[in-house]
Amino acid sequence: MARIDCKHIRNFSIIAHIDHGKSTLADRLLQATGTISERELREQFLDDMQLERDRGITIKARAVTIRHEHKGEMYELNLIDTPGHVDFHYEVSRSLACCEGALLLVDAFQGVEAQTVANAYAAMEHELDVVPALNKIDLHHARPEQVLEEMESSLAVDPSEVLRCSAKSGIGVDDVLAAIVERISPPEGDPDAPLQAMVFDAVYDDYRGVISYVRLMNGTVHKGDRIRFLRVGREYEVVELGQFTPQRQAREQLVAGQVGYLICNIKALDDVHIGDTATAAHGEQAEPLPGYEEPKPMVYCGLYPADGENFEELREALTKLHLNDSSFEFAPETSDALGFGFRCGFLGLLHMEIIQQRLEREEDLDLVQTAPNVTYEIQTKTGETIQVFNPQQVPDAGKIEEIRQPIVRANFILPADYIGPVMQLCTEKRATYVRTEYLSPIRAILTYDLALAEVIYDLYDRLKSVTRGYGTMEYELRGYFPADLVRLDVLVGGKKVDALSVICEREDADRRGRAIVKKLRGEIDRHMFEIPIQAAIGSRVIARETISAMRKNVTAKCYGGDITRKRKLLAKQREGKKRMKSVGSVDIPQKAFLAVLETGGER
Amino acid sequence: MNPGRSKCWPEPRAAYVHVPFCAHHCGYCNFTVVAGRIDLADALLSAIERELRDLEHSRPVDTLYIGGGTPTQLSTGQLDRLLTTVRHWYELSAGGELTVEANPADVDDAHVEVLARHGVTRVSLGAQSFQRRKLGVLERDHTAETIYEAIRRVRGIGAAVSLDLIFAVPNESLWEWEDDLQQAISAGPEHVSTYALTYERGMAFWGRLVRGDLAEIDEETQAGMYETAIDRLGAAGLSQYEISNFARSGCHSRHNETYWMGDAYFAVGPGAARYVDGVRSVNHRSTTTYIRRVLQGQSPVAESECLAADERARELLVLGLRRRAGVSLDDFFARTGMRVDALCGESIAELVRHGFVDRSEATIRLTRRGLLVADSVWSQLLRG
Repeated sequence: MARIDCKHIRNFSIIAHIDHGKSTLADRLLQATGTISERELREQFLDDMQLERDRGITIKARAVTIRHEHKGEMYELNLIDTPGHVDFHYEVSRSLACCEGALLLVDAFQGVEAQTVANAYAAMEHELDVVPALNKIDLHHARPEQVLEEMESSLAVDPSEVLRCSAKSGIGVDDVLAAIVERISPPEGDPDAPLQAMVFDAVYDDYRGVISYVRLMNGTVHKGDRIRFLRVGREYEVVELGQFTPQRQAREQLVAGQVGYLICNIKALDDVHIGDTATAAHGEQAEPLPGYEEPKPMVYCGLYPADGENFEELREALTKLHLNDSSFEFAPETSDALGFGFRCGFLGLLHMEIIQQRLEREEDLDLVQTAPNVTYEIQTKTGETIQVFNPQQVPDAGKIEEIRQPIVRANFILPADYIGPVMQLCTEKRATYVRTEYLSPIRAILTYDLALAEVIYDLYDRLKSVTRGYGTMEYELRGYFPADLVRLDVLVGGKKVDALSVICEREDADRRGRAIVKKLRGEIDRHMFEIPIQAAIGSRVIARETISAMRKNVTAKCYGGDITRKRKLLAKQREGKKRMKSVGSVDIPQKAFLAVLETGGER
Repeated sequence: MNPGRSKCWPEPRAAYVHVPFCAHHCGYCNFTVVAGRIDLADALLSAIERELRDLEHSRPVDTLYIGGGTPTQLSTGQLDRLLTTVRHWYELSAGGELTVEANPADVDDAHVEVLARHGVTRVSLGAQSFQRRKLGVLERDHTAETIYEAIRRVRGIGAAVSLDLIFAVPNESLWEWEDDLQQAISAGPEHVSTYALTYERGMAFWGRLVRGDLAEIDEETQAGMYETAIDRLGAAGLSQYEISNFARSGCHSRHNETYWMGDAYFAVGPGAARYVDGVRSVNHRSTTTYIRRVLQGQSPVAESECLAADERARELLVLGLRRRAGVSLDDFFARTGMRVDALCGESIAELVRHGFVDRSEATIRLTRRGLLVADSVWSQLLRG
């Protein structure tokens, strides 16, 4: 096969807020170019993780090669998928680094939303050619003119350059394809230079080992070549290479500008690093590419196997997931209540939830998760500064000079009608007002500084509720600032349950404490004895509830035939209890460990 | 018994025969019963005869229990045939106990004559209540008068009387239950069994409970009713000897003691459960399937299980704790080869600490508090 020239290649992403039709448009492009047939078209083809399908969101970057004829010439269009959620901003950047252009998709009814702005700025930072498009223009309640105005005021987009399409019905899809070829620059790169390939993703396949997703910046790679990954410094033979069409399709070579995959018999999970550069093992070697800035986890929680015997399985599963997602971290920790497990760090709440679900679903693990917390910086009286990832690590109050917590700048994009309720919500969250901007007469951006702890507590749910689902938000870290924080401990049956401790603002402690014990009272079943549940700061109890003792629990009849039946019933109940954690003689169900979080809605 | 010889199980000394027929399937019952199919009686008797033939030779037993359903639904001729066959295969030893369950309304002179002729020593009457309202809720076809009349007839043949009583019926008040207890005591039975109405899948009341058509009596009231029963019956000389069973001195149900002692027993009939050679097995619950299988020469057994030594030991412990006499530590060791403390010492210590179990040098037994939550104690002990 003749080697393709860069001028016939276009590498692009589609960026959009969740539900603005990114996946539908991707499907439509594959179908319009004959990459997949109508029959093969599974809904949302690119979202091939079951979880992504269930949630209708994209988590991991994916790449598909499309062949498209434009004005008599054949082009290779590489679509690199991006996630839309704020937690995965890092993955968006990763995808964008492999592209020359981005299709900015905006729902013609919903208009500009938080991720629209965040992702568009990311594309501009990468100096990509941005092709803006309005989607769902055939909706009868579409308001294209207002949305164009919002795009112009928030993103400085020239309304005359905005395409109009409907991914669902196919309207304007040809124009989109034409614009990709005409308005996005071809990649630059020298196929004869030393190999320089950016690893932008990797997945683990049980049969083939690690499959690395690469974008060739320079050079050419052939099947059988020996290559070196510069960061890890290991050398491998390329046993297979190819492109996703969208199935894996083996090729003889990949050249500068192209996107595809490499299979190199890499069995060790840690041997591939996202953002690494692959070059030739021998002869002239390329410089390493800048790679990616590793994102810092913002949210931490404990993950424990429900059955303590599965600790090693959990470690293996985390290691495996970490290969595909280096943005979360994990380290072993021990809890008196939960035994051996891991403290895990995530980019955000959704990221946390997804990792947990993948562990449960793909690895078939049953987990107990503790309520999430942010990282704190503590300056001790001895002048030391320590980072705290777990409420248990907070030293005694007497040793603390100052506690600092992460503060984020949050942008809320919402219909102007909801400014009042959102401002009220922010006041309640002790947020600091920064500014209000109007995108159009009916849509505004509210900007506030507030504690990240408040964001992960329940802010997102509350925002959705006060704006009837129309408000969206994104945030970025501003830094660590001093705050009056305390550790709130929970005692069940007189024993402190370490996994239930939280860090909260002193002035909010009474309310939180009351809410937590009330919630726990509902989560823990009655036992044979009375169970006090207390919230305490140090030795001072600030809230208490009591679970009364079971009064009567006895099966009256127990004759010949009842014995086996009763024993089986009890064995079944016992099986259920195995999934609980025992503190003293109290069985605490798994979900109770999240109770400290869910109290937010009750006030 | 030497634990090394655990394969050698003692021959059962008790036998149970199940007669599934009922005039009506009461809403609170999920026993193996078949309502309105008394036409199957002759076929059932043939099947029971056939199943008994597998014993190959007559077996000596100390107790024999004919339960149901309602054995007295059978005609006198059928009842005579059943008792003749059963007594042939299960030969009651001298001084043995022969119990027949009876519906008060069925206890006429003709049936009583059959029972007398076969030497029945106990009649267990499904009285349930003396209150018109409760009996109506329970869908029973008798009245207090019927019960008194049945007791008089049973007395006439010199058999002991046991009364079944149910409490915590929908809308039942504590004084209603006290009245039932008072009437039962006045009737002068040798033995009383009381059960709190329990809602389980498979009974008509379950559906009504789920639909909200019935409401369960609150736990506090139920506990009060149970404690009242223990106190009132005890004061009247009917002392509690098992969680649900009360008797005058020397009038315990020896047959039922077999179950709580973890001893072996034979059983025949649909849904009947036996414990022979260390294997617990239960016959098919459907009367028609049971009859078909047996008459076709197939095994009527639907399920069976053989417990591991430590499961058997735990079962022995929890069953034994149902008895007010409790479990003798030496006897437990003799029968299982295991020490109670080695099996679940920690749990027992905790139960003692919380006041659910009393422990003396030689025995462990449930306290009054422990009785009320015996199921929780049970699951605690199964745990280790």
